[in-house]
Amino acid sequence: MRFSNLKARLLARLGAGQADRELDEELQHHIELETDRQLRDGHDPATARRRALEKFGDPRRIAQATRDERSISPLEGSMQDFRWAARILRRQAGFTTLALVTLAIGIGTTTVAFSVLDSVLLKPLPFADADRLVVIREVTAEKKVFPPSYPNFVDWRARAQSFSGLVAELFPYSQTAFVGNEALRVESMGVSRGFFAVLGVKPVIGREFSAEENAPGGPPLVMVSHQFWVDRLGSRTNLGTLRLGDRTAQIIGVLPSGLRLLPQSATADIFVPNEQAPDRGRANSNYAVLGRLAPNATFESARAEMAVLSRALLATYRDETRAVDVAMILLHEEMVNDYRAMLVIVFGAAGLVLLIACTNLVSAQLARGLGRSREIGVRAALGASRMRLVRQLLAESAALSVAGALLGLGVTVVLTRMVRVLGAPLVPRLQELSVDGRSLAFAAGVTVLTLLLIGIYPALRLATSDPGDVIRGASKNPNASARSAAWSVLVGFEIAIAVMLVVGSTLLVRTMRNIMRSDYGLDPRGVITAALSPRGTLDLAGIEQIRRELAALPGASGAAVVTRYPLVYWNQSGPVMRPTDVAPQWPALAGFRVISPDYFTLMRQRVVQGRAFAPLDDSAGVRVAIVTTGVASTLWPGQDPIGKTVRTNYLSDQWLTVVGVVAEASHWSMPRGSQHEIYVPLAQQPNRARNQLIMMVRTDGDTRALVPAIRTRLRELAPAVPATLETMTDRIAQSAADRRFAMIALAVFAGIALILAGLGIYGVMSYSVSARTHEIGVRVALGATPLAVQLEFLRAAAGMTLGGVIVGVVGSAFATAYVKSLLYEVTRFDATAYWGAAVFLVVTALLGAYLPARRSSRVDPLVALRGE
Amino acid sequence: MTDKQGGELLPGTFDMLLLKALSLGPMHGWGVAQRIEALSGGVFAIQQGAVYPALQRLKGRGLVAAEWRDSENNRRARYYRLTATGHRALDSETAWWRRAIGGVERVLRATPQEG
Repeated sequence: MRFSNLKARLLARLGAGQADRELDEELQHHIELETDRQLRDGHDPATARRRALEKFGDPRRIAQATRDERSISPLEGSMQDFRWAARILRRQAGFTTLALVTLAIGIGTTTVAFSVLDSVLLKPLPFADADRLVVIREVTAEKKVFPPSYPNFVDWRARAQSFSGLVAELFPYSQTAFVGNEALRVESMGVSRGFFAVLGVKPVIGREFSAEENAPGGPPLVMVSHQFWVDRLGSRTNLGTLRLGDRTAQIIGVLPSGLRLLPQSATADIFVPNEQAPDRGRANSNYAVLGRLAPNATFESARAEMAVLSRALLATYRDETRAVDVAMILLHEEMVNDYRAMLVIVFGAAGLVLLIACTNLVSAQLARGLGRSREIGVRAALGASRMRLVRQLLAESAALSVAGALLGLGVTVVLTRMVRVLGAPLVPRLQELSVDGRSLAFAAGVTVLTLLLIGIYPALRLATSDPGDVIRGASKNPNASARSAAWSVLVGFEIAIAVMLVVGSTLLVRTMRNIMRSDYGLDPRGVITAALSPRGTLDLAGIEQIRRELAALPGASGAAVVTRYPLVYWNQSGPVMRPTDVAPQWPALAGFRVISPDYFTLMRQRVVQGRAFAPLDDSAGVRVAIVTTGVASTLWPGQDPIGKTVRTNYLSDQWLTVVGVVAEASHWSMPRGSQHEIYVPLAQQPNRARNQLIMMVRTDGDTRALVPAIRTRLRELAPAVPATLETMTDRIAQSAADRRFAMIALAVFAGIALILAGLGIYGVMSYSVSARTHEIGVRVALGATPLAVQLEFLRAAAGMTLGGVIVGVVGSAFATAYVKSLLYEVTRFDATAYWGAAVFLVVTALLGAYLPARRSSRVDPLVALRGE
Repeated sequence: MTDKQGGELLPGTFDMLLLKALSLGPMHGWGVAQRIEALSGGVFAIQQGAVYPALQRLKGRGLVAAEWRDSENNRRARYYRLTATGHRALDSETAWWRRAIGGVERVLRATPQEG
């Protein structure tokens, strides 16, 4: 019996149809038996049938009543709840569509934000045991942190016990490589012995340089990046050779794809054995040094050992080094540090948008739920338990959440692709962004959270309302004040969040504007840079010819030559000294640039004292230099710098005569005045332009439009020298890429938040108007003017809005602490941003409230009263 | 449950009548309706269909069990029977009903002098 019972239940579960058919059969049989009895009583067949049905009652209603009594197992119950929910949601298509779109956007954006966070911050680096890798830098007596020099690195490597491996990379530089006869401009990175082995990176093809090869006198060898191998070598298995200048180098290895080294170094196309000819200046700062902690060492013990070691080295090389200590940081922290603030912002903003979306749904459900309270009251009166009602309402929320999440996945896929394409050039490791198991798991978590947020409160609230009140019609005005208080809080909350997002994005927009407009000491706008790696194939006359030809292009107003880009964040610098200075007391460090005479005029960099270079500063003339104001005031305070003698580490065998002083050119991300420079004329130092020179072309009109013309002209003039063309403006924007990314993300989120908040207030006001139609009708009938009614609704909306704006402004004052590190020349309490956000939100909210309010004043008292 | 000809059933009594009818032996729905009509001497001419939701409810509470069997006219019919729990429930309901009726009787017999 028990078994058949179980079987019946099982069958009932497998198909409700089976149980229904049996019930039909049972009822039919009953009616037949009764008809038979009526026949035996002597009635004719038709009468017998009619009487039987009369005695039985309406079979359809009986069947329904019986089905309702069927015992409900939790599973069957849930299925029923879901069917019921689906029916309800289908019936209210408007609400459902709005809810699904809201949820899809909320869940989708949050998931993408998580994926970004995950691929940039959380996923381990593509190195074996990446958490044991550290970055080491030199610290000077003035507590300034600099990249180490090669000789210091070699001493560390020889003496430090705390590392199982110490390696160095030379900051990448551009050079020309030939694959067959094709000239390519490549980013080349010099690496020390065992570089990839220590990082735990295995070449996918071939091997890395051996210790013997990566030493003075080693053979010309090169390794290539995966992308270079695919793009330039056609993925050939026979790696062959490429020509670097006058040497033909054997390609011995291909590195794995997606390999990033340090963020500062971007990507390199080729890797060369640097220890064949390293930079032996102990005071220079050209290398990045990475160490792998030995198994018995901790970060702290290694740090302590390096401190001792630096002191020992300082004692030995007092005259040559300026490092008194080292700074150490975990590689992982190094790679994410710059982006942490930005990612926290992106993720936080997405979370806030999700919160707004959920808030909207809660208030919509409340509004809808109150409209439905009669239905629920009836069900409660018919014996549905509170639990059952809560479950049914939760089933509705769950159906919404799950459907919203599925749509959200679609949003996620599309957004992920967009972010990967747009963000990869701006943020490292974003090209690895994808929808994977981790982001799906996260989306599932968010969905559950959403369900709790949007489901629990309305469900409990409705299920605890007294069914008796509801049926008696008390629902017409169920404690209106409590309800509107709850709504005011919800709407105010949305507005507060929207205010915070708008404030944040305004601050970042202003930051970007300040960066693009900041005073650099020179004028980068309208300048195109063309970087060339001539590798000695161009002499002075050749360079001058190219310069003249570019200056003569239609649309160009002039051209100049410089050996390093101006306004780069990482500016190579070396000691500058007077004849009286003795190492290591170098009073000033300065960057070194070799320029053509018209450089300052072209770049509009102000000559403060003396003169710019002139054609007479050539190989026959006195060796001359121009310094920036900072260098002049440090070396010769209160004196006339013109005519003074100076030497730079970059030209350590020459004393130069200062002929001029120019304004400091400073990058926006550096403290002002830190960009000390020393300039020398190209005509006197031609071999300084062998490897890299940059043609600066100023344009009259549309800057970008001239890029193709310059490219074409360069190809004609120097076909063997490939060029990289960029506008200065793009380069500056690129240097603020992380801010741009955060700005775009925040602006998008703020936009979504504004729309959602507007919809939220619209929804609440609409419901409020329709719920009070009767009351409005009465008042209008009693002589209230439409304007008065309208104003009352607008006043209510204004109350919610103002409350929200105030909370939002206070919240922003705290929350903007997270944006602080990204801001430039704007404080986080910037009044414009706060006022702007407040006004924006008030306008949005009143717009959202105005439409329903206008409807309220159009209520026809007759219709409203008749509807009673 | 109301019936059109007879009086209104007291709340809760219908389930008790069903249990009583089934205590006489397993029966299908039509038979149960017939029994109640016959046993009450026509006082409760119930609407026959009403037995099905009620039986379903009792089944859900574990007081009756059901199984398909061949009926007298050689058709398949669902037969209901009282479970052990059902027997105990009938006993306690009957006892409660007797006490209640007794109480009501005593109240109705009261005369003004005694008040």
